Amino acid sequence: MPQEQSFTRNVIKKGVVGLVLGVIFVVVAKALAFPPVFQAMFFAYAMLGAAVFILLDAPPLKPVTGGKALIALVVFYAVLSVVYVGGASLWPQYDPEVEKGKIIKLLKAKRAKTELGKTEELLARTQVLSEKADAIMARLRNVGGTAMAMVPAGAGEANATRRRLAASGDLVALGEEQWELQECYNCHTIFGKKSKKRGPKLDNIGNLMTAEQLREKIVDPLSWMAEGFEKQFKKKKMPDKYRDLMEDSEIDALVVFLTTLKNPAVETPKPIKKK
Amino acid sequence: MTYHGEDPGRLAGARRRQASVIAGLLVFVAVWALPVLGMAQDAGTAYQQVAYRDIPYIGSRNVIWIVAQLHLLLGGFVLGVPIFAWVCEIVGWKTGEQRYDTLAKEFTKLLTSAYATTAIFGGILLFLLIGLYPKLMAYLTDVFFPAFVIYGILFLLETATLYIYWYGWDTMQGRLKGLHLLLGFLLNFFAFFIMVIPNAWATFQASPVVLSEVEPLARAWEATWNPTWWPINVHRFIANIVLGGFICGAYAWIHYLTAKTREEREHYDWMGYVGNFIGVFGMLPLPFAGYWLMREVYEYNQQMGITLMGGFLAWLFILQAVLIGVLFLGANYYFWMGITYRIPGVAQSYKKPILAMLIVLMVCLGIWMTPHSLVASLQETKAMGGAHHPLLGVFGVMSAKMTVVNFMILVTFMSFLMYWRAGKQETATWAKVAKAVMGGLLAVASITIIVLGVWGYFVPALYRINVLSVAQVLIVLFILLTFTPLTALLMKSARTTTEMVWGQMPVRAGYTLVLNAIMVILLMTLMGYARSSSRVHWHVYGVLRDTSEYAYSPALGFATALMSLNTFLFCLLLAFIFWVASMGEKGKAGEPPGKGYLPGEAVPAMAGGSPLLEEGKKL
Repeated sequence: MPQEQSFTRNVIKKGVVGLVLGVIFVVVAKALAFPPVFQAMFFAYAMLGAAVFILLDAPPLKPVTGGKALIALVVFYAVLSVVYVGGASLWPQYDPEVEKGKIIKLLKAKRAKTELGKTEELLARTQVLSEKADAIMARLRNVGGTAMAMVPAGAGEANATRRRLAASGDLVALGEEQWELQECYNCHTIFGKKSKKRGPKLDNIGNLMTAEQLREKIVDPLSWMAEGFEKQFKKKKMPDKYRDLMEDSEIDALVVFLTTLKNPAVETPKPIKKK
Repeated sequence: MTYHGEDPGRLAGARRRQASVIAGLLVFVAVWALPVLGMAQDAGTAYQQVAYRDIPYIGSRNVIWIVAQLHLLLGGFVLGVPIFAWVCEIVGWKTGEQRYDTLAKEFTKLLTSAYATTAIFGGILLFLLIGLYPKLMAYLTDVFFPAFVIYGILFLLETATLYIYWYGWDTMQGRLKGLHLLLGFLLNFFAFFIMVIPNAWATFQASPVVLSEVEPLARAWEATWNPTWWPINVHRFIANIVLGGFICGAYAWIHYLTAKTREEREHYDWMGYVGNFIGVFGMLPLPFAGYWLMREVYEYNQQMGITLMGGFLAWLFILQAVLIGVLFLGANYYFWMGITYRIPGVAQSYKKPILAMLIVLMVCLGIWMTPHSLVASLQETKAMGGAHHPLLGVFGVMSAKMTVVNFMILVTFMSFLMYWRAGKQETATWAKVAKAVMGGLLAVASITIIVLGVWGYFVPALYRINVLSVAQVLIVLFILLTFTPLTALLMKSARTTTEMVWGQMPVRAGYTLVLNAIMVILLMTLMGYARSSSRVHWHVYGVLRDTSEYAYSPALGFATALMSLNTFLFCLLLAFIFWVASMGEKGKAGEPPGKGYLPGEAVPAMAGGSPLLEEGKKL
């Protein structure tokens, strides 16, 4: 009995200390503008500490055997699991949709080549056309007639030029997207960022290599070598996977993007023809 | 079958139990039959090459996840336990203490059934992979086929060695003990390579190299020798020892609870201690092996490293820190319980050091779990003044984490030394000098580790990784390697003031052993998820893209639920293995053959528990 009383006192004393510490942690964390999830984490940390300190002086439990021991073990595991899964679920979660979106982008070109992809694309186009037709009909209903906008002479040529420019602009953007998707940034840097030891900076590559040469390098990494990167070249650091992984149009887009990199202010290693 | 003279109530109970076992088996079979539905999807069509097959309701990835995880955990157990058993056998042989030999034998007995179960799960995994991921398997087979052949041969050698090692235990005593130990070595030698070969397949998926060779063997070798292969080999080898040790502890505790005699309680209390000891000592170098692995990952592909440590998996490492922290706390707590309950009367004098060590451990855990980049909304980030907190952000970097890991290892080692020295009085004339030297060394080492940690903030990352962190590790190793023999020398001539009493440990010490085992298993499942997710949407990183509907990585909440399920299933399988093994013990204990006893038929030969074989009778 005295042992039980002493344990109760121990629990109250250390529990209160843990609680006070936990509250102090939360208040301080709040004052330091920590997000709420961290405030909760600091509180849980204080309580974990209190629990360990309580257990340090706890009296022996009554031993249980047989079925009761088994149940106690399962309950023990269940409690651990709830804390583990619950804790991990309450923390900020990475959203799988982000990765799904990236995967869809990567696979779009490949998928478009398949029968299923073609059907999906046709369905998507039909949907867009249908929406446009609905919008036009709605506008016509609003103006109360079937008046048509007059197109000035020569406008067709201007539109075509605009389309070409837009397409060219898109190609650069698509190329930049390929730069991100294929993770070229793992080994190369652009826009004046700090260089990496695996691959050369490419800030001025547009002034050093033609589009054809760049394409050659992407498809066959051993065709060109950057000056000062002999060791990496010898070790075949640049993968030769891109000719298999990328569609021709994707390589073209990446090449167009690279040819726009013309910043002579950043020193870019000189390319040396090897094949 | 009839049971003459049986109590009808007991008979009904037995029938109920049988019915529940059958029902359980049916559910088990139904679950395993689910993949057949996946196969049936293509059954109606003519032969065509498919990249993926799916399993309704559960999903092919989840099925592979569960089976692969169970296979891996069982593999870890069957590869870790022989090391454990062999070391115990050597200790028993060298010291002449029979109990070590008994312990080694007891664990080898578990191996035979565990080995068969692991192989079964390996087979199921292979069939499922071929069925559900044929494109990936075709690619891996193309690259690694020669390794498959070598793996098969090693498997045969391992099986043969295991059975000779186990069944020859009693025969190869005395003069033949050396031969038995050689077999134990061979068992571990083959087991190591059985682990190393599939590691090559898995690591190739994460860090593939350019394959320029054409000849199959050279090509397989080129793929095998990839940047993360050896770091994983070393990491898994150590982790398997830890797993084996802590599972031994949990096993001992379950036996401790059901022990009927004092001798049995003493034996299983001691076994729990040995299991915890081996687990702890395996755990000490594990963070260093993990550090090496991450270094290689960064070296291979910075993006992969960032994905793991600073990207969407960053929170996973906080979870890892918590699990490891709890494991360290559990291991230390068990030592402190040992001082209190096994060495009566000395606890009071160790109260203050224990309290100090606990505080150090808690502070270290707090720093270890501080994230580098805080996952926060835009407003929260703005309020905080950036993704790194201006005040606590300093604890999020590797320099701080390496420092606290080293401290946690030092504290755990000190707990062990304290336990070792408790209840003994040094008599050596040089004891005072030795203790002063040890105290001085510990103080200098602690200060140096902190100084190196702080220095790490002001130097380039490469210098910190290659010089300062390595220096911290070497200092800790130096302490471990000098203190252990020095203490052993001191204890050799020491006078025992309080006799160690086995069999007195409280129930919660047993729960600590179970907790440690669960933490290790959860850690292994968590790291499996991390390694797999670091490949993002690739089967083979940068080479073979995952185009299935499960190419994305699941969120942490879902993943931990599956990890928890896997851990539970693994524990159930272990319980089954232990139960099968204990059937042999019951027979050996001389219990009268009960109802339905079928000599020969009921002897669990595969479990290694055959009393007839052990005693060399009747067969």
